[in-house]
Amino acid sequence: MIRIEQLSKTFRVDGREVSALNDINLEIGKGEVFGIIGRSGAGKSTLLRSLNLLERPTAGRVLIDGEDITGFDRSRLYALRQRVGMIFQHFNLLNAKTVAGNIDWPLKSTGSLSAAQRAARVAELLALVGLAEHAHKYPAQLSGGQKQRVGIARALANRPQLLLCDEATSALDPETTQSILRLLLDINRQFDLTIVLITHEMQVIRTLCDRVAVIDGGRIVESGRVADVFLHPQHPVTRGMVAQSDPLTAAMLDPGHAFAKDKLRGTLVRLTYLGDITYQPILSHIAAATPARFTILQGEVSSIKDLPFGQLLLELEGSDDDIRKVFAELDRFEIHHEVLQ
Amino acid sequence: MIDLSMIEWGDIAFATWETLVMTGVSLLFTVLLGLPLGILLFVTASGQLLEQPGVYRVLSFVVNVLRSVPFLILLIVMIPVTVLLIGTSLGVEGAIPPLVVGTSPLFARLVENVLREVDRGVIEACQAMGVPTHRIIFGALLPEAMPGLIAATTVTAITLMSYAAMSGVIGGGGLGDLAIRFGYQRFQTEVMVITVALLVMLVQFIQHAGDRLVLYFTRK
Repeated sequence: MIRIEQLSKTFRVDGREVSALNDINLEIGKGEVFGIIGRSGAGKSTLLRSLNLLERPTAGRVLIDGEDITGFDRSRLYALRQRVGMIFQHFNLLNAKTVAGNIDWPLKSTGSLSAAQRAARVAELLALVGLAEHAHKYPAQLSGGQKQRVGIARALANRPQLLLCDEATSALDPETTQSILRLLLDINRQFDLTIVLITHEMQVIRTLCDRVAVIDGGRIVESGRVADVFLHPQHPVTRGMVAQSDPLTAAMLDPGHAFAKDKLRGTLVRLTYLGDITYQPILSHIAAATPARFTILQGEVSSIKDLPFGQLLLELEGSDDDIRKVFAELDRFEIHHEVLQ
Repeated sequence: MIDLSMIEWGDIAFATWETLVMTGVSLLFTVLLGLPLGILLFVTASGQLLEQPGVYRVLSFVVNVLRSVPFLILLIVMIPVTVLLIGTSLGVEGAIPPLVVGTSPLFARLVENVLREVDRGVIEACQAMGVPTHRIIFGALLPEAMPGLIAATTVTAITLMSYAAMSGVIGGGGLGDLAIRFGYQRFQTEVMVITVALLVMLVQFIQHAGDRLVLYFTRK
C-alpha cells in the first residue's frame, strides 16, 4: 500500500543544511499496523509527515497505492489528504466547535454530502468512538482520552484507507493509553485500515503494531516483526528502548549486571520462542531427554499483540556433551537460544 | 466651585451622540480595512499558510510607517485627502477618514498577533484533512481566534474614541470639540470636567461590553 523509496529530507537552519531523513526505504502493507519508534529528534515526525506531504521530502519517492504522491498537484494533494486520516499528540481539535462540529468539519469542508447525510455520518462516528452523549460539548469540557476519541472520529470521517498517528497516546495516562490503543486496534480490524504510527514508547509498539522500524539520526537502524525486534534488539537505540519499557528483557539481554558472577557455575543461556510452542512443556521434555541440569534464573511468558512468546534465562550445568544435547533438542523445537557467558 | 447651571445639557448630549457616531462608523471601516490586512499579514508571514516573504515585508513596512505618524500630525496631513474623499474636513464626517487611516494599521497588527496565538497544530490538522486554505482561514482560524479578535476590536474602539476626541483640534465634532471650544478656549472648566467624565464612562462601558463578549465566545 505504501512504498517509501530513498527518501531524504534536509532543512536549512541558519544557512546550514541539516539532514532530518537519510535514505529511508520502507514498505507497508494494506491493513498492517506499522510502528516507527525513535527518540525525540530522530526524524520520525518528519517521516510520518512525508506520507501526507505536510513535509515535502527533498529527494526520493512516496508511493501510495502505486502512485508517487510527491508529484501531486494541489487538487490531487487535497484529494489524497481526504483519504489519509491523521491524529495528533495534542489532539488539535477546534476549540470553537462542539464535538459533533469537529467531526462534521472535514465532511463539511471537503466532502459532497448533504447536511442530513453528514449528520448521520457524525452520529455513526460518535457511536463508534463511544461519545454519543457528548456530541454537544466543547473540547475544553472533555478529558484527554475523550479528546483523542474525537480526534479519531474526525480522522475517520472521510473513510480513509490510511491513518497516521503522531504520538497519539503520548499525552495520555497509561490507562487511557490502553483504551485508545484498543480502539485503534478495533478500527484496524473492523475497517482493514492501514495504520502508521510514531511513538517513543515501546509499550505502544508491543500492543498495537505488526511490524516496527527503529529510526535514529534520520536513518532506519533496525526493522522487522515486532516480536523479533523486541526479543532480539540489535542496535543500541533499540536495546535502550527495550530496556526502558521492559526491565526483565533488559536483564536477560545483559545478565552480567543482574546476577552476581561468583554465584553462577554453569552456562548462561537465553531461550526465546514465539507462537504455539509457548504452550508446550519444553523444559520438562529437555529434562527427560538429557542429563543436563538447569536453573531458571529469570523468565517471562506473555504476548506481543496476539502472538504468545516466552523468554527464559537458564543456567545449564553438565558436560559439554550434555549441553550440546540440550541445544540439539532446542533446535528440534525451533527455540532460539544464545549462550550469554 | 463647579457651577452646573451654566451647562447646556442639550449640547453635551448632542456631542456625546456625535462621538458615538464617529467612533462607531470609524470602527466599522477600521474593521473592514484592518481585518483583511491583518489576515494578509498573518498568512503571508514566513512559515504560514500562504508564505510570501516579499508581500509580507511590503505590508509590514506600510503598516509601520502609518503607525509611526503621530495621530495629531496625521489629522493635519490627511486634510486634503479627506476633502477629496467626502468634500469637507470638518465635523463628524471630516473626522472619520483620518480616524480610519490612523487606527486600521494598529488593528491589523493586533489581528496578526491574535492569529499567531492560534494553535499551529489546529491549522496543521486542517491541512492534513485536505481542507483548502481559504476554508481553513474562514472556517477554522477566524472562529478559533474570535475571543482575541473581539478583545482587539475593544482596544481599537477605545483608541478610536480618544482619537475622535483629539480630532476636535482640527474642527472635528463630538465631545473633544466641545471640550476644546468651551472647556479650553472659553475657560468653562465645568464643560471640561463633564466631557472628561463622559469619556471615562464611555470607555468603561466599551471595555466592559468587550470583556463580556470575549467571555461569551471563549470555549476554554
